[in-house]
Amino acid sequence: MIVGGYRIELEPRLKSPRWLVYVVPVVSLLFAFVVAGIFLLGTGHNPFTTYGKLIDKGYTSYYGITDTLGLATPLICTGLAAAFAFRMNLFNIGEEGQMYLGMIGAAWAGIVLADNLPGVAAVPVVMLSGAAFGALWVLVPAVLRARLGTSEIVSTLLLNYVALNLVNFLIFGSRTLWRDPSPFPDGQLVADSARLDRFGTTNVYPTLLIAAILAVFLWLFMRFSNYGYETSVFADSPNTARYAGMSASRLTVSVLLSSGALAGLAGSMYVVGPAGKVDPGLLQVGLGYAGIVVAALARYNFVAVILTAVLFAGLRVGGAALQISSDPVPIAIATVIQGAVLLFALGGEMFRKNRLRVRRIAGSPVRGAA
Amino acid sequence: MNSNIWLITFADAISIATPLILASLGAMLTERSGVINLGVEGYLLMGAVTAFQLGMGFGNVWLSVFAPILVGVVMALVHGALVISLRANQIVSGLAMVIFGTGLSQFLGKSVEGERRPVSIEPIDFGRLSDIPFIGPVIFGHDPLTYFTWALTIVASLYLNRTRPGLVLRATGDAPATVDAQGVSVTAVRYIHTVVGGALMAFAGSWFMLARGTAWSQESTTNGIGWIALALVVFAAWRPLRAILGAVLFGFTLQVPFTLQAQQINVVAPEMVKMLPYLATLFVLVALSTPRARRLLGAPKMLGIPFVRDER
Repeated sequence: MIVGGYRIELEPRLKSPRWLVYVVPVVSLLFAFVVAGIFLLGTGHNPFTTYGKLIDKGYTSYYGITDTLGLATPLICTGLAAAFAFRMNLFNIGEEGQMYLGMIGAAWAGIVLADNLPGVAAVPVVMLSGAAFGALWVLVPAVLRARLGTSEIVSTLLLNYVALNLVNFLIFGSRTLWRDPSPFPDGQLVADSARLDRFGTTNVYPTLLIAAILAVFLWLFMRFSNYGYETSVFADSPNTARYAGMSASRLTVSVLLSSGALAGLAGSMYVVGPAGKVDPGLLQVGLGYAGIVVAALARYNFVAVILTAVLFAGLRVGGAALQISSDPVPIAIATVIQGAVLLFALGGEMFRKNRLRVRRIAGSPVRGAA
Repeated sequence: MNSNIWLITFADAISIATPLILASLGAMLTERSGVINLGVEGYLLMGAVTAFQLGMGFGNVWLSVFAPILVGVVMALVHGALVISLRANQIVSGLAMVIFGTGLSQFLGKSVEGERRPVSIEPIDFGRLSDIPFIGPVIFGHDPLTYFTWALTIVASLYLNRTRPGLVLRATGDAPATVDAQGVSVTAVRYIHTVVGGALMAFAGSWFMLARGTAWSQESTTNGIGWIALALVVFAAWRPLRAILGAVLFGFTLQVPFTLQAQQINVVAPEMVKMLPYLATLFVLVALSTPRARRLLGAPKMLGIPFVRDER
């Protein structure tokens, strides 16, 4: 871009300063709060008191923190799912649907298998079943992408709507084993052995630890394993990967399946934890879509996903409290902030990787120079 | 079975094709310049909520029709700034706009959730013409936006194929370096078409509130139609006129669940029938991904790739 004899350009940085890695997400978050604040003002809410309440209910009160950690548990998994695929430039945006399938798969194992299993095996089997269902849900888009190059973006997303209707069918439209036999449409509870106890009176389940350990494991695995190396080469340059003899289709399919399995795990954590059944209430929460934002703000770093997931879970918990407060603010404000954060983080990321260079164009008159 | 009901379904399909055509025209123009805008769903919802809220506030139908265009322009400018000027990831930026638009439309629409629509666009009365068998209900009796959309599609087609700016646009998507060498600003061409495209997408959103939905509800307004519009761009091979055909086809799959429900046909559960449009879209996408189809389609060659002049 040329402005008055000066050329303004984005120039790649050879080395981006370490501090920018932390500054960009924090500043994005602040800007997002400002944008959402403008809309709060416009609809007659005081942004400062609203944010004050949001932070209080989401992050500082005892039950606020524990509710946030409880909600963060599946969100860490959907965040990991998105990060796993996005870092290889495979844009799986079907976490939402894969999570529903995880819920269906986990409930199936919890209803049919759990009673026949020794006590300790029930929970792991149920969770793995959910992960498997999640992976299966992305199998078709994954194979299509690897074989025909069909855009995984649109295909995974379309399947979200199919999964949504599938859950509705199982709970409202049919009498399958997922549905409780009572006249009121609700999910059938899984066997007691397939459920975990919460910590005390909180809404935190041991699955939080599993999610956190998984994040650290993935970070180590992708950093030090051969597989992790191959995916990062493939992400940087598919051609280089091919010349080095790596199989593009094997990597594509395996990455997408793992991503689907992680999203499915989020659904099964819901089953072994708070829900204990296929719960249509989960359809309203949007943890799958939020996982994408969580992953992007964490810059697809698995360990950072834990932090950003807790942050966004708090927004949601605080938002839910706002909705029922004396000055009700729609919970959608949490989604507005999410979207805005992602937009700002994207812009900020470019300033981290590049820098603005303003240069005088040769031959143009020098202004203000001695 | 009553054959008349399927004729009405078909006529309704043509009606719901209107936002599909508008949104995919927007996406098409954007993509022809080499920019991907996945945010369609967000633009549709923002257009819809703008039309509805302004209708509630002012009761002026024209304001509700045209104000969403401004909303689309603003959203597209943000997208353009991110992906054209800052060269940010186009896919993530589009997704961010979907999330932002979904949240904001829900936020802004909360106060009027469930309210009846305040203003509407009525179908044009063609008198006796509507009584012509088959042709009558299919061609006549739609709302003015539908006819406007058909006209716009023809204009877009002429623009792309018969005018110089259209040629430049196509070249920008295929060979931006050549356009740049001709002394035309690639950045300007991309900004203009991203903005016009975004305007069309949000404009399409207003249709939902003015001609279809009877009440505002964020969950049941668009239902993924934005994503179907994106698939439609591929189906139409980035050619405006073909979008009409595809939109009617997809519109039919969207309309079938309603018809079956109205006819109390319960052979298949309604939840299963509702999967139809998404599965049909997926199926079409797959069919178009075969190497043979891909050659015939001719996607813009530099789609999604930022242009940097002196790449070293």
